Amino acid sequence: MRDRLVRRLLPAGVLLLVAVAWLVPEVPALDLDTAETGAVDAWEATLDGLPSTPLVLVAFDPDVGTYAEIRPTVRAALAELLARDARLAFFSLTPEGRALALAEMDRLREGQANPRRWADLGFAPGAEAAIVELSRSVPVADDVGGEIARRFGDGGADAIDALVVIGGNEIGPRSWVEQLLPRVEATPALAVAPTVLLPELLPYAESGQLDALLATPGDGAAYRSSVSVGRLDRFLDASPPRALPVLVGLVLALGVVGVALVRSVSADRGNGGSGAQRAREAEA
Amino acid sequence: MTRPALAGIVLVVGLLLLADLLVVNDTLGDVASVVVAGVVLVAAGAALAAAAALAIRRGADLWRRRGDPVGAALVLLGMGAVLVAGLRPGATGAGDPAVGWLVAALLVPLGATVFGLLFVSTLAAMWRSLDRRPPQAVLTGLAAAAVVVLLLPIGGAPGAWLASAAGWTLAVPIGAALRGLLIGVAILAAVAAARTLFGIGGDDA
Repeated sequence: MRDRLVRRLLPAGVLLLVAVAWLVPEVPALDLDTAETGAVDAWEATLDGLPSTPLVLVAFDPDVGTYAEIRPTVRAALAELLARDARLAFFSLTPEGRALALAEMDRLREGQANPRRWADLGFAPGAEAAIVELSRSVPVADDVGGEIARRFGDGGADAIDALVVIGGNEIGPRSWVEQLLPRVEATPALAVAPTVLLPELLPYAESGQLDALLATPGDGAAYRSSVSVGRLDRFLDASPPRALPVLVGLVLALGVVGVALVRSVSADRGNGGSGAQRAREAEA
Repeated sequence: MTRPALAGIVLVVGLLLLADLLVVNDTLGDVASVVVAGVVLVAAGAALAAAAALAIRRGADLWRRRGDPVGAALVLLGMGAVLVAGLRPGATGAGDPAVGWLVAALLVPLGATVFGLLFVSTLAAMWRSLDRRPPQAVLTGLAAAAVVVLLLPIGGAPGAWLASAAGWTLAVPIGAALRGLLIGVAILAAVAAARTLFGIGGDDA
């Protein structure tokens, strides 16, 4: 009875502990910015190599599940691009990505970002096929005017100076690297993606097909602590992730796994049977 | 549609798109563009059909009181709320502020919360797995514990060392295993595609 009550209350207790850790002031010895992958240097070097007032296609397809992980980094990246005088063109291939792109564009609008420096190219279904279609003809709506419409009208997809992919579970940087880059003139590709995509994307980053990739909380924290956005800091995330709640969560996870491992090993010794044998018995 | 006809369509479309990628030719480009536009339209139709099928299925669940009626009602309520917000008279579709509010204030926090609960459910699953004591679960538990230690957000020299070790772990053993899996999947996909194109195997008769 008592065990059952403890098991039922444990998940709520874990979440409560993490919530309390969120409220505690920052601890100096803790730091999310522990990355030493050079991802931030690669990001900045790629942006430094762009022409002045670069036209940047922002392929915005995160998913709502993992967006919380990358949102502070995405917002910092958008602020930096605007601070570097880039022209942003948002385009989505998934309904989730479109919804989140609209929310971020609303945020730019409310923050009074210069409306001539960003445009909404909308949403297209068809995943990879839509990317191929975009490489032939960039879908610029009639209500998009100014420099961005003119540059796409003159040069089509070749007018893109840089591709920034905000990736998610469904459509990520891999699709853009494979479908767009071979079809347009040499265009640097940068990406922000959740950690879950890292194993899939690392080969693209290491082979140079992705010029820069921010795909871990450490990379994101390192980027946010070094990025300079000037007066556009109002576009940065108001509450970026903090190290203490992450530490509490990881220590809790370590504790649960450790206790379970010790119980498992000690029970094996006590019973004198092998784990495999017990597993087979349990399955039978 | 018969398998040879389907394989033929796949073969022609695939070769056409490949040729268009390799050869600069306006006519070829126009034909490929029509094909790609067709694929985009089919994808749009499929997405709409999938959404309609979901609504019909959940509606039927609710009507016949089978499965999870509360879940079905919530799905229909959510779909209805977004449709009403985007399609009501005077609304501007997906870009309407009401739709934006539903996404930013409800959808995103709910999605992130459900994803965050994976933390608890994954720990519970690990606990249950280790309770049965198979060697695979013990090995997975040890590897998970090691990775968690490497990811501890500690500053200074210890943190740098942990981060360095985590980077090596990701790049070498984990990277090797995952790349091996990806290469294997790619080879299997190529073999399956070739078998489809040439109509080899797969007959139940």
